[in-house]
Order: sequence, then structure tokens, then C-alpha cells
Amino acid sequence: MSEQPDSRESAWAKPVDKLRVSGTPTGAINLNVEGKQMVGPLQGFGQLWQKTYRVALSGSSASPQEVVSLLKAKLPELMPSDSRFYPSITGVKPGEVIIINATVPGVPGTISTGVMILYADDESFTVMTPEGHPESGFNTFSASSEDGVTVAQIQSLARANDPIYEFGFRFMGGSSQQEKIWHHVLTQLAAQFKTAANVTMQKTCVDNRLQWSQAKNVWHNAMIRSTLNLPVRTARRVFRGGRGIDAS
Amino acid sequence: MAEKTAAFSAETSMDGETAVIDLRGEINSQAAAAFDAAYSEVARFGAQSILLNFAEVDYINSTGIALIVGLLARARAAHLPIAAAGLSDHYREIFTITRLSDFMEIQ
Repeated sequence: MSEQPDSRESAWAKPVDKLRVSGTPTGAINLNVEGKQMVGPLQGFGQLWQKTYRVALSGSSASPQEVVSLLKAKLPELMPSDSRFYPSITGVKPGEVIIINATVPGVPGTISTGVMILYADDESFTVMTPEGHPESGFNTFSASSEDGVTVAQIQSLARANDPIYEFGFRFMGGSSQQEKIWHHVLTQLAAQFKTAANVTMQKTCVDNRLQWSQAKNVWHNAMIRSTLNLPVRTARRVFRGGRGIDAS
Repeated sequence: MAEKTAAFSAETSMDGETAVIDLRGEINSQAAAAFDAAYSEVARFGAQSILLNFAEVDYINSTGIALIVGLLARARAAHLPIAAAGLSDHYREIFTITRLSDFMEIQ
């Protein structure tokens, strides 16, 4: 490989041993991100799935770059109300952290986790998960031109991070709930461009084995840790009355 | 045998029991078919290990890294050790960030 630096290399995040959150956005619960290591599709516990969600923005003249630019700017607004994204003040830039606060049926309170922007260029950006996140892997948001039509795509390559999450994805509706999230995002995106949303999904099991050596990941489980932290957050809210809650 | 996309090719050859995949060009979404074809060649050759040679690769984007992850996952499921050679310092870093290097010898 050439040792001459390519200007596009700045699209990649710089190496980090552990995640650092530079300020908690207003209203966000910042838990289970600070100090966590990043984990990719090879580190988790469950079956490795590739899921590709696509929507053709037929009738829109928006370029792939314009679509990705809007995705970067409005991703929090495009998310469903039970899965809130809080980007840092600098937005979707390589190395930045997005805090995620989600609610899940049957789980009290808000689950707090996050993702790091691993890669961002004009036509795509990719987020990578930390320890404790329900998934271990990547999500890539992109757009391309196909036969003169701009197509927006979200592709995840991930496996459940630990046995509890794997059980939830397989038997508690977690997988379909997650698929609904990305359907929702692409539907909302199509609405931004005033086009009908015919969202398609293809899923492939890339590796159907369970990685039992990674069962220990349950120690970092953000759902359990967020639930255990709920009384602490409630007490802080009562005594301090703060809006942004940095519970790290 | 070479498998080509617009700006990418993957050529598979055998060196003893190791399948060497020489990668050339840019590894992005356009490289998916060539990656699949190259892995099929590895299986056909009955290789005992895989060496990915990145010496002639110009650029890898995040979709390209996902393709490498997919190939690595399939190789691990088939108990085929994988190594990488010819990576620049930048992509050595990327393989570390993405934790690919946890499962791949970097030569």
C-alpha cells in the first residue's frame, strides 16, 4: 500500500483506547459510554447478521451527497420517539460520540448507550458500537445513484453483544423492533424529500455460531446497568433538578 | 484467477496450503462481488489458511472494511486462519480501531 497519505483518510476516526464523551447534550442520559472500548462485528456473542434497508427516492432530484448531508444533520429527528440520538455539538464527524437513549417494552426507565462515528465522508457514514451496547458491530448510512435514482441505504453488520441481548433479539421481539427503527428512519427520510417510502430489507446470517468466549460481555450490559442506575438518576433529579444528566 | 469490479480486483493463488488473495484498487461497495468470488476460489482450492495482500490497495472505506469483516467471519466459521500483509500505517490503525486485528495476524 502507498505510504503517501490520501486526503480521504481523514474520513476515518483516530485510534482511541476508550471512548470519551465531550459534554453531555441537554436532555441526554450519559451512561455506559465513557471509558468503554469499541467492539466490532467480530467481538460480540450472538449470530452475525447483515441487514440492508433501502429506499429509492424516486421523483426527487436530490443527489446522494445531499441525502447523506440531510441524514447527518437530521438523524435525531428521523429516529422514532423511543430511540433518541444525541450527537455531540460538532455533529457527525469521525471520532465523535452519539449518545443513545432508548426505551424498551418491559424494561423500566431509559437505556443509555452510544456509538462512535467510525467513518464519515460525503456519501456515507458509519457508526461503531461500544461494550454494553445491545449490538456489537457497525451501522453504515449511505446513498448512491442507481439508474438515475438516488437510493438511501442503512446497512448493519452486527451481532448481539451478550447472551441476554441475543435472547432478547431472538425471542423477545428485539430483532423486529430494531428493524422497525431503521424502517422508520428511511420512511421519515423519504418524507423529507416528498417521495413515497417503499422500504425494503434484506438480511443474511453471515455467521450462525454463538461466540461463547464473549458471554462475559454481559458485565457491560447497558440495559442492566441503566436499570440499576435508575434509582440514582431519580434521586439526583429530585435533589439537583438538572436537565442534562451526566451519570458517568 | 482474477475477479474484477470497476476499480477493484481480487486475484487468488496458492502458496503451499495458503490461499493468497492479491487485492488491487479501492475497496468499497463496488468490491463486494469480487470479494465473494475470491472467497469461493479459496474454498475451491481447499486452502488451509488465507493471506490478504493489501500492497496494491489504494483506499478502503467503511463499506470495504465491512466486506473484510464478512470474509473474516466466514473464514473463522470454516476454521481458516487469516493474515494480512502490505497494509500502510494508516490502515494498520484502522484494523486496530475496528478490532479486525484481534482476529487477524498483521504481517
